Amino acid sequence: MTPVDDTAPSQDLLLFLASTAHDMKNSISVLSGTLERLLVDAAPGTEAAYPQMAQMLYQTRRLNDNLMQLLALYKRVGTPEYPFDVQPIEAGQLSDQVVSLGRVLLDAKGIALEVALERDLIWHLDEDLIVGVVSHAVNNAAHYTRDRIRLALTAVDGLLEIRVEDNGAGYPQALLDAGAAGLSDVASGIDFRTNSAGLGLYFSREVARMHRHRGRHGAVRLENGGALGGGCFILSLP
Amino acid sequence: MNALVKSKSEPIDWAGKNYLVVDDFIGVRQLLRESLRSLGARNIDQAASGGEAIGLLAKIRYDVVLCDFNLGDGKNGQQVLEEARVRNLLLPSSVWMMVSAEKSVESVMGAAEHQPDAYLVKPITEGVLLTRLNRAWHRKQVFRPIDQAYAEKDYLRAARLCDTQIEANRVHEVELLRMKARLMEKSGEPDKAREAYERVLAQREYQWARAGLAKIRLANGEFEQARQMFQGVIAENRYYIDAYDQLALAWQGMGKLEEACSVLERAAKLSPNSVPRQRNLGQVCLKLGNVGMAEKAFRKCIAIGEYSVRRTPDAYLGLARVCGLKNDPKEAQVLLQAAQREFGEQHPDIDLRAKITEGLVYHESGDYRRARKAGDELEALLGSREERPDTATCLEMATLLFAVGVKEAPVELLCYVIRNNHDNALLLDEVQAIFDKARLSDEGGDLIRSSKKEAADLMNQGVLLWKTGKLKEAVDWMRGARAKLPNNQRILFNAAQVLVSHMRERGYEESLALEAHEVLAHVDRLQPGQQRFAQLMEQLAELVPKATEEAAVDTKA
Repeated sequence: MTPVDDTAPSQDLLLFLASTAHDMKNSISVLSGTLERLLVDAAPGTEAAYPQMAQMLYQTRRLNDNLMQLLALYKRVGTPEYPFDVQPIEAGQLSDQVVSLGRVLLDAKGIALEVALERDLIWHLDEDLIVGVVSHAVNNAAHYTRDRIRLALTAVDGLLEIRVEDNGAGYPQALLDAGAAGLSDVASGIDFRTNSAGLGLYFSREVARMHRHRGRHGAVRLENGGALGGGCFILSLP
Repeated sequence: MNALVKSKSEPIDWAGKNYLVVDDFIGVRQLLRESLRSLGARNIDQAASGGEAIGLLAKIRYDVVLCDFNLGDGKNGQQVLEEARVRNLLLPSSVWMMVSAEKSVESVMGAAEHQPDAYLVKPITEGVLLTRLNRAWHRKQVFRPIDQAYAEKDYLRAARLCDTQIEANRVHEVELLRMKARLMEKSGEPDKAREAYERVLAQREYQWARAGLAKIRLANGEFEQARQMFQGVIAENRYYIDAYDQLALAWQGMGKLEEACSVLERAAKLSPNSVPRQRNLGQVCLKLGNVGMAEKAFRKCIAIGEYSVRRTPDAYLGLARVCGLKNDPKEAQVLLQAAQREFGEQHPDIDLRAKITEGLVYHESGDYRRARKAGDELEALLGSREERPDTATCLEMATLLFAVGVKEAPVELLCYVIRNNHDNALLLDEVQAIFDKARLSDEGGDLIRSSKKEAADLMNQGVLLWKTGKLKEAVDWMRGARAKLPNNQRILFNAAQVLVSHMRERGYEESLALEAHEVLAHVDRLQPGQQRFAQLMEQLAELVPKATEEAAVDTKA
């Protein structure tokens, strides 16, 4: 008899897990869509539960983003296995999608979103991944900002720099260190067990690194300061 | 001329359009419907399965289709799209958005014949949907005049339109260059196609452009260089399935069937639901004598073909051969009958091909009596019709007929092949080899020479009339030549050339233009992608007198 490797999950099990995860994703997107609609129809004055609903939407978005990132990582984002799909995209269309994804949540929480960009700037990137990463960063900023977020897209020295800045208290030192570690290509040192921002940051970095051009690759860094004086999430793509 | 479409176009009225939403999950259908309603849409139909979607598509012309790729049992989203395109159930302006739960491999696989206008990953939100819809719609406007010229097979005009659009639409530049390269390939201008691919690569390392360069090498017989380039593409992106299919062709070109087979096997593992890929895998396995794997591939090919408009009789014929090799001629017969039943309408040669396979099956299993009987029946089938099938089938048929001991019919077939391909040296060698194998080397050589001369004389007389300015006579002569040798490409091209010259000198005539179009369409079916085809199509299009056309409309009004 051929030896059987008991530790390897069967193909059937993997398929079952994947289809369950997709089912969950369907449910969560229905949930977050419904919440958005409720929020659009309601107003802070007439609906007593308005702040709680906004918080529910924020948490649902987090669940959705995490699940999306887990699934993408499961599909091996960051390796040649992933169906990476680069296309020329206009900066204006990129920001339109990020803005629309965040609109209901930001309105509900009374946060102003400023956008600064040159709409006609064209960049070659994987649109789905980048929209996902940037809107996750906006969602994150919505939690930590006081009342403003700034989204800026500019071409700097052959790189597209996408900045998500807020006017909150800024990132804690541990996270800034983790961001710096990622820059220097050393193992990032993120502790997934204790650091809730870890998955999103790890995912963003993998996505950035997949974007390569003429010997350069994309990167993510975190800073405090920027135009609004709070936390800055900076994604740069060659 | 066609006006340029500017990047900043009018906002599109999404409210008044007809929408179809296809998803097997009711929650998702409702969500998508809500999203569309928030864009103002009023007319939204829904389908829960591929079959239901096709039913609706057959009745109603939709402006926008949002279709999930995964539809449970039955057709998948890609098959629904293919059927809708092949059956002409879509308007040229219809936008097809393929939806999937995760980033789909299909979206980056490359050269699928029927691509949707966009791929969307769930969850779909209003803003993303609107941005992608606007982009797809705008893209359609940019490509409309190009697609129109493409549909008319005026590839050179379509390529010029690509150049004009690139000036005005930088965001579509890469895609326009991709189209231009394809058009140049179809026009038999590989150098210009290469130039377009290289312009893309100067901007970014797009795998399809790299693969495009490799394909040009492949077509030029530079198999080793092509192999290296395709392997480079796969190393960069192992989901670029088209590169595997091409890599297999490069190996086949070098005579390395084992390698070709293992590449196709890997591709079929990554993307098993392609009818042509499973068919190719089966056929390579058959050549290698790997009966088990051939059987698996052909069976898979038949199974996935059930819901696909791309189903092919090849898998049935191949599987019948497999049955023969497994000494089960009864099962082979059942398959051959099924093939004739299922494909009789679209494939008028299927009875011949089934009979050839039957003969092969008996011959390979050593039943020479039944093999000979199949040969005699094949001869009778040939005798009852004027038309001959394509060259490959003719050669296959002649080989079998010789093998089972029939003599006159294969000689007639081979002479027919020579007369219709009198300037194709490679093919003539192949024909000589078949004669050699039948121990008819000398007789065959004589037949090849005389058939060749017959065709050359026919053509030369026509060319002489044309060159001496006897255009009317040249047209008549070439008509006669075409009747005698309906599939000789040199004669067909010259016939079209003479018709074009006649109209240039003596004025446009609709009946002559129609005749030239028919001749060219036929030669393009025989062998697509020839330079002379593209040039003559362009010359023909330029002959149409535009001013008089409008004047004629005016007098009617």
